[in-house]
Amino acid sequence: MINVESRAARITRIVFLGLWLVITLFPLYWILITSFKTPGAIFSYPLTYWPEEFSLINYVTLFQKTDFGTYVVNSLIVATAAATIATFISMLSAYVLARFEFRSKSAVLMAFLVTQMIPTFIALGPLYLLMVKLDLVDSRFGLTLIYVAVSIPFCTIMLRGFFANIPDALEEAAMIDGCSRFGALFRVIVPIMKPGIVAAFIFNFVNSWNELFLSVTLMNKDENKTIPTALNGFISSFNIDWGSMSAAAVLTILPTMVLFAFASRYIVQGLTAGAVKG
Amino acid sequence: MTNKKLLAGIGLGLVATLALSGCSAAASDGKVTLQMVESLTSPARTDLLNGLIGEFESENPDITVELVSPPTDQADQKIQQMLQSGSGVDVLEVRDLTVGSFSTNGWLSDMTDEFDGWSGWDDLTDNAKDVATADGKMYYVPYGFYGISLFYRTDLIEEAGFDGAPQSWDDLVTQATAIQESGSNKYGYAFRGGSNAYTNALLAISAYVADDIDVTNAYKLNNGDSIFSAPEAQDAMDTYLTLFEQASPPSSVAWGYPEMVEGFTNGSTGFLLQDPEVIAAVQQSQSITADQWTTAPMLVGPTGKAIQPLATAGWGTAEASEHKAESAKLIQFLNSGDASIQFTQENSLVPILTGAADDPFYKTGAWASYLTMNENPDVYITAEQPRGVSWFTEWAGKADTELQQVLIGQKTSEELLASWDAYWTEKWAAE
Amino acid sequence: MSRRMTNVTGRPAIRAGAPRAFPPDRTRRRRQFSMRRGLTMLAFLLPAALFVGVFTYYPMLAGSQMAFRNWNLNDLTNTDWVGLANFRKIFADPNFYVILGNSVVWVVASVVPQFIIGFAIALWLRRKFVFRGLYQALIFFPWAISGFLIGILFRWMFNGEFGVINDLLSKTGLIDTPIPWLAQPGTAMVAVIIANTWYGVTFFAIMILAALQSVPEEVYEAAALDGSGKIRTLFSITIPFISTTLALTVLLRVIWIFNFPDIIWAMTGGGPANQTHIVTTWMITITQRGDYGQASALGLIVVAILLVFAAFYLMAIRERKGANS
Repeated sequence: MINVESRAARITRIVFLGLWLVITLFPLYWILITSFKTPGAIFSYPLTYWPEEFSLINYVTLFQKTDFGTYVVNSLIVATAAATIATFISMLSAYVLARFEFRSKSAVLMAFLVTQMIPTFIALGPLYLLMVKLDLVDSRFGLTLIYVAVSIPFCTIMLRGFFANIPDALEEAAMIDGCSRFGALFRVIVPIMKPGIVAAFIFNFVNSWNELFLSVTLMNKDENKTIPTALNGFISSFNIDWGSMSAAAVLTILPTMVLFAFASRYIVQGLTAGAVKG
Repeated sequence: MTNKKLLAGIGLGLVATLALSGCSAAASDGKVTLQMVESLTSPARTDLLNGLIGEFESENPDITVELVSPPTDQADQKIQQMLQSGSGVDVLEVRDLTVGSFSTNGWLSDMTDEFDGWSGWDDLTDNAKDVATADGKMYYVPYGFYGISLFYRTDLIEEAGFDGAPQSWDDLVTQATAIQESGSNKYGYAFRGGSNAYTNALLAISAYVADDIDVTNAYKLNNGDSIFSAPEAQDAMDTYLTLFEQASPPSSVAWGYPEMVEGFTNGSTGFLLQDPEVIAAVQQSQSITADQWTTAPMLVGPTGKAIQPLATAGWGTAEASEHKAESAKLIQFLNSGDASIQFTQENSLVPILTGAADDPFYKTGAWASYLTMNENPDVYITAEQPRGVSWFTEWAGKADTELQQVLIGQKTSEELLASWDAYWTEKWAAE
Repeated sequence: MSRRMTNVTGRPAIRAGAPRAFPPDRTRRRRQFSMRRGLTMLAFLLPAALFVGVFTYYPMLAGSQMAFRNWNLNDLTNTDWVGLANFRKIFADPNFYVILGNSVVWVVASVVPQFIIGFAIALWLRRKFVFRGLYQALIFFPWAISGFLIGILFRWMFNGEFGVINDLLSKTGLIDTPIPWLAQPGTAMVAVIIANTWYGVTFFAIMILAALQSVPEEVYEAAALDGSGKIRTLFSITIPFISTTLALTVLLRVIWIFNFPDIIWAMTGGGPANQTHIVTTWMITITQRGDYGQASALGLIVVAILLVFAAFYLMAIRERKGANS
């Protein structure tokens, strides 16, 4: 890396990074202070950039009027399970796609890519009928299965890239030493790729955590709802309940932010995992 | 390696939890579970329904009710999917917009038999009875009616030198224009240009053609032509567009319900034409106090009349339901006595029970205008809109789009009316 | 992350990217392996294939048959096969071409700024500075929010009369009269693109930063020794090195953005006067009318468009790579 940075370049860098930080964080700031305003004050004009009186009433109402705690638990269970299973399955398929050559390989890759092109909306109706037949409607298990299916394509493509960076000599050696391929994968490769796997897991988790349409379609009873459904529920035909919605939004965003913060170094590191310099 | 095992362990554990929780509880020993689905969902109303359901369950210990409350935006589609799958729905919210298509598809059960001899029938108002028995079948029993009235700022009118609320559309334009002060964020009229914009335009048009309107089909004149073909319709549109150009916020082209309500509740707009649900929202406002606003009856046209659209929704039973008798019981409970009164009052609906309108709740303040309208049916004429036809959602989308085109100057109002006239004439000819 | 110069048995480690070689003493075992290999391959691919096949492809195929039928949920008494009638209806609708144009504008005008800003941020984040970790965590957070929530939030921020953005713009003296953002076709499109850009920069920043970090130090050192200036290094060395990642990231984002109705739907509903509709939001409108037949046809058209685009794109990449090496 070129170590010398001119003063002008340094100032430019700091200014732009600072500006972008403000732009990025401003909406979050807005939701945050809205959640601390009383419902009547939210709509007042002129706009207030700092609440005149801090109030926790939105958070209280949120837990009193709706079963928000349950929704959080549901989202947690479904997102974690889906991310775990999807990451695992994607590792297997990504491994094959990275290591082996076979005739239908590009077809398989294309098949994964095409799934990203399908608008979710078409599949909702038939998917619902399918889940009814499988008796998996209104169950967290069913929703998890769907989220796994949705996450696998991109996760596979992502992990395949990581695998390609790791020389196969490593597992060949392990196999010579008596491991099965599966064992070689998990005992030798995975530890090296840990950051990449964490990155993949987080992508899957966030996508499942924030997913709305599939969740609304498949879950019926109130106790089975996930957070995005609840958030959407604050928009009724005549009103947007900004108070409860911003409180709920804050509670939804903060955990993912923390997760991101914790794992951001992994995410970036992970995408270069296994780069061995000769 | 422990990481791998840990991960695998967590994964398996979660799968196990999920698999177990995925099992649905089997119904047992004569207890009936009803699944009830609502579509005009709001957290407050869901809360209220759960309360009423609780009361019902304690009066009927053999029946349990599960309430499904999808978010409004996707609710109608979700109900369609559930009905299409043929299972999972017993009682559902049926709207005047959806009853046509649901019944055509054979998804609704005709409840005439279950309601035969129901003691609560005679307590219903005539309007409610008419809607419930439309076309000789009972597909749903309405739980209330949506009214419209004019919300206005008493202090702004006084300041501008007027001594009362506007009565006709022309009056409204005059007063709103006087109030409007661009540049200082004071606007006359909370114009609806976004979603469902056509409804307000329709109010103006119907008021202007009120003398010739067919009360069985509010889009038709007595001579069979559509209301859009009458010359008065053009006058109505001209007035309505003047209202937009001279007395409304410029970005109201995109204003939907929430923006309109905010415009009034944050004090920056003088007039709002909406239904009673707004009352609760305005009462919560911290920008305007109770003595700064009230409501007035709908605006009349040049001949001194207005048309009340009488939109409604209610509860019905799914054809595929295996518990039709119990479903009917639940609907009867919700639409009678205290349950019904509580529901209509807390949801700001015109009640379905005779005598309920005598409740002091409806006589005071903002509700008084609704009473005025109900007591003068010759001025505020009730006409039924053809909301049940299967193409009504398509109509709504087309009407909104074309109205917006006029507002942003891509179309003239003459072209608009011609297009609307052609649309309905074609549809009626094809019926 | 340990870097071994030799593998576990003491033989020299093979450099990443070197062609796979089969030393002669392994040829015998290769035939034995191939059977075992085949089974392993199958076993590893099966779970993914099952999930995607059952839960993605099956509903999609089942859904696409609606495209060839008269399928309106408001009147299911007639679901006859109508061949290409739905498609003909779509192509005959003048709205469709406006919407296609909007979709292209939406994609291009979103991807380009996202790419440039994301690239710039990635470049600047390469250099260590105090609180870099915290900074990274903070600016990556838009990715953690759901699209629909972003749409609603920006709808209110861009509100012409009471929105934050107009408020800030007038307070800082940049505008005299409030801009009716969502009321005019042009500014509405700008508004949704701004919202989308705010959201999407993160993905590019993360991917590009990672790719940049995989460029070995030696490459830069060699370039510096050659006397290459910073900008020249960037364009003639760094970018080519990470070009595959860049290309794939762009492809993915183009596909995702084309298919991304959440922000537009929540912010403008496709208005005013259908001027911000993209194909997928138009699909939602048609679905709400109950016309699932036409909606499915639209969906198939979307897949076809993206497929063709991806095919050309990948071919172009492969040609370029061939030309470069």
